[in-house]
Amino acid sequence: MKKLVIGLVASAFLVGFALAQEYKVVPFGQDEWKDFTVGNYGGYLVVGSLDNPKTFNEHVAQETSSTDVTGRLHAGLVEINPITDLPEPGLAKSWEISSDGLTITFYLRQGLQWSDGEPFTADDVVFTFNGVIFNEDVRTDYRDVLMVEDKLPTCEKVDDFTVAFTLPAPFRPFLRMIGGAIYPAHKLQQLSRVYNPDADPEALNSVWGVDTPPEEIVGMGPFKLKEFIPDQLVVLERNPYYWKVDPQGNKLPYLDGIKFVISFSLDTIMLKFRNGELDVYAPRPEDLATLIGEAAAKGIEIMIDPTKPLFGTTWIAFNQDCPNENLREYFRMVEFRQAMSHLVDRQSMIDNIYLGLGVPQWSPVSMLSPFYYPDVPKFPYDLERAAQLLDQIGLVDRNGDGWRDFPDGTTFEFELTTNAGNTIREQCCQMFVEDAKKVGLKVNFVPIAFNALVTKLLGGEYEACLLGLTGSSEPHGGRNVEWSCGGLHFWKYSDCEEPTPVAQRIDELFDLGVKTYDFNEAYEYYKEYQILAAENQFLIYTVNMLFRYAFYKNLQNTAAFSPLVGALGLSEFLWKANPNMVGNRVVG
Amino acid sequence: MFGYIVRRILYMLPVLLIISIISFFVLQLMPGDFTTAFRLNPRFSKAQIAQLEARYGLDKPAYVRYWKWITGIVTRGDFGYSLETQQPAFDALFKGRLGWTLLISFGTLIFTWTIAIPIGVFSATHQYSVGDYFLTFVGFIGISIPNFFFALVVLWFMVSVLNVGARGLGIGGLFDLQYVDAPWTWAKFVNFMWHLLPVLIVVGLAGTAGLIRYMRGQLLDTLGQQYVLTARSKGLKERLVIWKHAVRNAINPLITMLGMSLPDLFAGAFFAAIIMGLPTVERAFWNSLQRQDEYVVMSGLLFFAFLLQVGNLLGDVMLAWVDPRIRYD
Repeated sequence: MKKLVIGLVASAFLVGFALAQEYKVVPFGQDEWKDFTVGNYGGYLVVGSLDNPKTFNEHVAQETSSTDVTGRLHAGLVEINPITDLPEPGLAKSWEISSDGLTITFYLRQGLQWSDGEPFTADDVVFTFNGVIFNEDVRTDYRDVLMVEDKLPTCEKVDDFTVAFTLPAPFRPFLRMIGGAIYPAHKLQQLSRVYNPDADPEALNSVWGVDTPPEEIVGMGPFKLKEFIPDQLVVLERNPYYWKVDPQGNKLPYLDGIKFVISFSLDTIMLKFRNGELDVYAPRPEDLATLIGEAAAKGIEIMIDPTKPLFGTTWIAFNQDCPNENLREYFRMVEFRQAMSHLVDRQSMIDNIYLGLGVPQWSPVSMLSPFYYPDVPKFPYDLERAAQLLDQIGLVDRNGDGWRDFPDGTTFEFELTTNAGNTIREQCCQMFVEDAKKVGLKVNFVPIAFNALVTKLLGGEYEACLLGLTGSSEPHGGRNVEWSCGGLHFWKYSDCEEPTPVAQRIDELFDLGVKTYDFNEAYEYYKEYQILAAENQFLIYTVNMLFRYAFYKNLQNTAAFSPLVGALGLSEFLWKANPNMVGNRVVG
Repeated sequence: MFGYIVRRILYMLPVLLIISIISFFVLQLMPGDFTTAFRLNPRFSKAQIAQLEARYGLDKPAYVRYWKWITGIVTRGDFGYSLETQQPAFDALFKGRLGWTLLISFGTLIFTWTIAIPIGVFSATHQYSVGDYFLTFVGFIGISIPNFFFALVVLWFMVSVLNVGARGLGIGGLFDLQYVDAPWTWAKFVNFMWHLLPVLIVVGLAGTAGLIRYMRGQLLDTLGQQYVLTARSKGLKERLVIWKHAVRNAINPLITMLGMSLPDLFAGAFFAAIIMGLPTVERAFWNSLQRQDEYVVMSGLLFFAFLLQVGNLLGDVMLAWVDPRIRYD
């Protein structure tokens, strides 16, 4: 906190006339920012995008083609440091947590302005939470995340630059979760039924749609919308009122803006990158050989870090409530699921399907999370052990046809599915089917369309399924999956009515994990949860893909690209050695 | 003729209605609905998904939703809205795309006809010559090569073999980046032509090949007719015999095809549009199908059904116009 105060004084001094403006100084050259340098102004970051944004309304945006854009337009009270992954001051310059852990008071930076020049105050914050996020009319996935014991916190204005949140119970992830986009009260307050009973309940969902004139979309983010040409281009430009400065007092961002080039095929985006039309690209495994071959000639830098797998998990789920009762009985046996894990040849998947760009995953928590526990019980590829376990639970070949049978003599077989068209997942399934065959286990692989699969999965109509879930640093983000009554508890929905002792314990651990503000204590809870999940193999985790990134060397301050942030997440700090260059060629 | 056209237009209405009913209920057979994509998001609770369904009316039976939609069209000219972008359904399909789609489609059409007809005539008049074999062979390749694959090959060729980037040229899309949001200039026009050419080749190839085959077959038929023999025996120049007597008669079925190809004009560029990143209506329609964005899908289907009918009508009318033997009244 001391450093921050010094920074604030320094910025006030350097900015001179803006004495009242409490800018945030980003300390390039120090600590985690040591690889960052002060840059020049100018130029656009050019990135490829696979689809049109569907809305510019951050809180209702769902897919990355929208959030990649909206994420640059807005800012929150608290930010996650892109390097350390820890919460740090954003629009709030500091905060205090009361001794009982129930009240959190945020002190806002003073003298900041919205991208249209209007002043930013506590009213905007209170409006954002009470009028938008906590408003049941709004179709946001952000509200449920802030629920503590099924109740929402309350948000009150203390004075023009102080806001207090009161929680129904202590909630450790609060600081990480509270950084959602703050919306401008002066633009949107009349659309919220909390403030204006005559407002249309849909108004806050449809506002800032794709047809909105760009100047109407007002935010506190580093960029603002300039233009959207459907199927072609989204242009963002620098927000002149942005509230961060570099150590020399230069206002961020350095870039004039960002251009999202819309192209509907990854193959084409890859070709465009190779052709020098884009600055950055996250290559697929199959792209790497080509890019490495051309890198020196074209001035491309490629980052592959074997220590950094992506957030999220890929797994095989066995439906312990599946409609076939005979199967269900076996799917509920922990030995069966452990045997299934012994059948997953993770190393061959990495070598042959992920082309070396993967690491085996064993725990439900993403590997980059500070809560990740690496030493969970593991059931690695071992056909003999798998066969032994299957023998042990009575699945043996009873009629000599080479397939293991149910006790009544019929062949034991189940259907494994994944979303058709995802070649990596399809190949992993095929490899599993082959390995299962080696121990006499009959698995029928039936890929189906994604929507049909989701319906089956969440309707409890499937037998076994290979899919993935997104993840984050915060294990609580997976509560809807792990919690016995969670909407995504798809491997055993019946846990909700009749929870097993293990399911009950995991529910408890998730509650305990958020009620303490002490990291080490929370870590112990999540560690126990990870051990339980791994022992019981509710989901059989397979392989996690490694982080890959490629960019043209003209781009500067790129050292921190990681699974946490790519070029977009760091766009406010990036600069171009030659601002007139896109990719490796001078434009204009 | 006028009465015939009016009659045909009136017939369209019940046909469109029936098509809309069938397509709406076929659409219901697709598993899942618009909310399916939300369901795998761990940040949405079950209660909120249910709320969402109620909001969009997806919890109501299909016939209720159909009735609401069709009465909206009849009474207010309201085709519903996109659940995904909250735009009116027609905006979600056409906005920023209709003009480009028409330009690409008609450009391709002109490209196809100006190339295919002369080649078809050449092939027919030089039947079984080396030139005929060669062009026929090229034609078969054109028909058999998948559109999307060819598009990818063309782009790959431009980058990997020609290395157009080193000359400052872009690939895919309609313009290089610096021209997309710039006002029209000569340089922008030249750049547009550079981007349009591969599109014409890719989209036009299959059509050209097909048309060559039709033209060749038709003309061969006609060339065997007695009136061609008569024309020749009158001592007419071979050029006149071919173009004024034979081609003039051989082309009639192709005119009908031209009318009926109206919906194809929207559909044909689909795969190329995805690979080459073009703003087209068909891709927007495909996107709505994937997202099960009901009203946009329905409006799109209705629009394509309408085009098909108008195309048929146009084909019939044009045929009557070029062939004086045909009378509808």
